Amino acid sequence: MDKKNNSPLYWPWLPAAFALAGIIVFIFATFGPPASSSGFVSLIKGAVQTVAPGYVENNPHYATMPDTGSWLFAFVLGMAIGGFAAGRTGRIQVRDIPEIWEKRFGNSRIKRFAATFAGGFIILFASRLAGGCTLGLFISGSTQLAVSGLYFGVLIFAVAMVTAHLVYGNTGKEE
Amino acid sequence: MGSEIWLGLLSGIAFGFVIQRVGASNADKMARAHLMMESDIPKFMLMAVILSAVGLLGLEAAGVANTRVLPTSLVATGVAGILFGIGWGFCGYCPGTTWAAVGEGRLDAVFALIGGLAGAAFFAHLHEFFIPLLYDPFNVGQITLADWTGSRPAAVVLLVFIFGLCIGAIHFLWKGKNGGQTP
Repeated sequence: MDKKNNSPLYWPWLPAAFALAGIIVFIFATFGPPASSSGFVSLIKGAVQTVAPGYVENNPHYATMPDTGSWLFAFVLGMAIGGFAAGRTGRIQVRDIPEIWEKRFGNSRIKRFAATFAGGFIILFASRLAGGCTLGLFISGSTQLAVSGLYFGVLIFAVAMVTAHLVYGNTGKEE
Repeated sequence: MGSEIWLGLLSGIAFGFVIQRVGASNADKMARAHLMMESDIPKFMLMAVILSAVGLLGLEAAGVANTRVLPTSLVATGVAGILFGIGWGFCGYCPGTTWAAVGEGRLDAVFALIGGLAGAAFFAHLHEFFIPLLYDPFNVGQITLADWTGSRPAAVVLLVFIFGLCIGAIHFLWKGKNGGQTP
């Protein structure tokens, strides 16, 4: 039924899910639950450490997280490298402003960049409050059958859907 | 320490490669998924969880699993879930896809990354204010589905069933008229 949606541009979802699950199981065997919001903390911890080591030492949030010389930071750095490699070898168009955003709000880069800055700020603030993000809490948690991950997952999907409807309205639906 | 970093880097490269290829690092595709116009990303995510949960059960049987269940704080996890959903629906990136999208060269993701670093630093600064206020008093512990079903295999079966139903519902309810494809 959905076959026509699987243009060769993108990998079909089912084999891709097998690939991702293989990687996740490998990570559980060799490290522990994978996480990506922690990588942000590791990077900011490493950066702040160089200018204000005393502040980092006395901060309870940084105390629980490793700095840049860690699996967690290597992992997010690897994700950027993987994204780069996949982007360079594939045909998916790279844009600075998503099409649907451009249709709704125009092609102002300042507006889009301000929006993603604000969005990034909110998702990382929220991730640190919950202790994880889509990967570290929802995917890792649900894989371990954790109620925290399932609870977080239901909320993020439901609220993101409502938010997207409020932000975009009927943009993109007319064609 | 050395091997840990190489393992992390290798795992990250593989992870970033797959999520780029399936389109999760494309904020346009993600927005269309949230708008019920493209179903590949949510089906991909849920299926990955199903398969990982089954795989993890195997690792546990083999005695090589490293697990760490995060506690559920009814208020902190809930408030965070709502805020996260607002940010995700608004900008189309989540923390992991941001890194892959930056690697791809999407400039808006660079700003999401910088915003994310600022958000993480902001939370870290106020950790001592928020955690005792929102997290600790409502922390019900490291509960899992297995606490209700009695055994981990039974809980995995339950998870597979629920997530499978969700995949089916998404498959039939999401429109996918234009498939969220980048022309």
